[in-house]
Amino acid sequence: MPRIDAHLHVFTKASAEFPREISDVWPAEREEPVEKLLDEMEKHQIDQAVLVQMAGASIENHRYLLQCLKEYPNRFLGIGLVPDGHPNPVEHMAELTDNTGIIGFRFSTFGGPRDIFAKMDVREFAAYPIWECAAERDYVLWLYPNAINAHLLPYLIEAFPQVRIVLNHLAVCPGAGKFSWDEFGRPQVQVTGYNLFMHTTYRLARFENVNVHLSGQYAFSKEEFPYKDLAGWHHGLLGGFGAKRLMWATDFPWILEEPGYGKLTTVIEELLPNLSEAELADIMGGNAKRILRFPDL
Amino acid sequence: MILPTPEEKKQWEEEGYLVFENAIQGEDLKRLQNAFDYWADACKEEWLDRVEAGDAVATFYDIPNPLEKDPVFIDIIDYPSYYGALMDFTDHDLILLGPQVRTVAPWPVSYTGWHPDVGYDNPLHIKVQIYVNDVEPGSGEFGFVPGSHKPGSGPYSRPMRQESMTGHKTFPGKAGTAIMFNSCGWHVSMDNHSDTPRKSIILIYEKRTPGRIGSGQFAAISEYCQTPERRKLFSLDG
Repeated sequence: MPRIDAHLHVFTKASAEFPREISDVWPAEREEPVEKLLDEMEKHQIDQAVLVQMAGASIENHRYLLQCLKEYPNRFLGIGLVPDGHPNPVEHMAELTDNTGIIGFRFSTFGGPRDIFAKMDVREFAAYPIWECAAERDYVLWLYPNAINAHLLPYLIEAFPQVRIVLNHLAVCPGAGKFSWDEFGRPQVQVTGYNLFMHTTYRLARFENVNVHLSGQYAFSKEEFPYKDLAGWHHGLLGGFGAKRLMWATDFPWILEEPGYGKLTTVIEELLPNLSEAELADIMGGNAKRILRFPDL
Repeated sequence: MILPTPEEKKQWEEEGYLVFENAIQGEDLKRLQNAFDYWADACKEEWLDRVEAGDAVATFYDIPNPLEKDPVFIDIIDYPSYYGALMDFTDHDLILLGPQVRTVAPWPVSYTGWHPDVGYDNPLHIKVQIYVNDVEPGSGEFGFVPGSHKPGSGPYSRPMRQESMTGHKTFPGKAGTAIMFNSCGWHVSMDNHSDTPRKSIILIYEKRTPGRIGSGQFAAISEYCQTPERRKLFSLDG
């Protein structure tokens, strides 16, 4: 069974050939290219990976991702982005998925009522056309909902049971103002001690088309690797979603310095030590292959 | 004090729950409903802000510090219709752990799955859930597995769907109904497929153990607790 890293990012220096947004963390001259990723994968026997677009959502911003997918069609699948407020998201998505290796798109908002007690009509959600398109064209929706959007999800999932959903980063829904970067250049998301998500995203386990990737532990944990304080979260997700709907991921490149790619290939064994060999193999790649339809190597 | 009948005692021992229909009614119920609605409305925006900030659960909210907001929330802690049973079951050594004055939004999925609150080695832990509005079947009513409070019962698993739980019973009820249950027992809020939020108050009690609740926990309502019984119930004297 292949070992598949189900969520990571690669980017190259900002250039006319590969335009991208810049920030303090990914300045124009920084690069974390696919070759560096392939070296790590080779060293740690990882066969395939999901490349998730970052640093810009325009078509042009996706050029480096598209090149990586073209160059290594058997190794990678891609997840794209849609600009906020795009006037024609369906056209944007169609252009990026025209036999390119991009299989879906990442979102954090759904454009529904903020008031959880409001009457919900999914057809009035701003994201409705995107979900409708995903259902028609079999896109995967890669979701990292903002905290105030989490309550909208089951309405959309009920309306589109055929859409494959992957909840990102332990199904956490980051709160506004809770995001920062640490001294190792890693995202940090401040979360409450009490696990709020067991009352929202964990409850989505009932929907068979909803999956979760187990990654980003470093961003939520108060401890160093192997992030034992998150063992309960992993057990909760395993209990709810089962071993067939969880996928391991590293969130490369943020983890390269601390704890390092190699250590993260063992994080599932550390946090879920009672998995059977078959269950571990599923989480480490089998599920990603089946759910995301990775090509045979 | 209204003590439980032999039949009620038997049901409590064997099944782990009791239902008190019309436990609160008339003017007392109206007073409770008015206070609940007023404070739930007053606290809602702040709760939504906390949800947005990632500091609060998105699927239900509790009125913060309700005992300090309206004395009606204090009066239901030792309300005669169920207080005698609470005292009897705890050998007249009862303490309050806290109230949850809770509004649950209609949502396609219940906000919680089947679970017990405490293990069998915990001191007797009792909850009383009071419906503030009518709770029809399929609108977030309480569910309980009779007998699951007993050591040696089960094992129980957490089904994906609430209605798939083996041996469970659901408890729709009119406003003012109080359901008392042993928190070792497996329980849940059923799915709410209606358009109506479920409004209820969950009172949490335990058989006293030394130091369980500090004397400062409920100090803010000390003026409402003048009798020795109430001071003991609210652990005001340590």
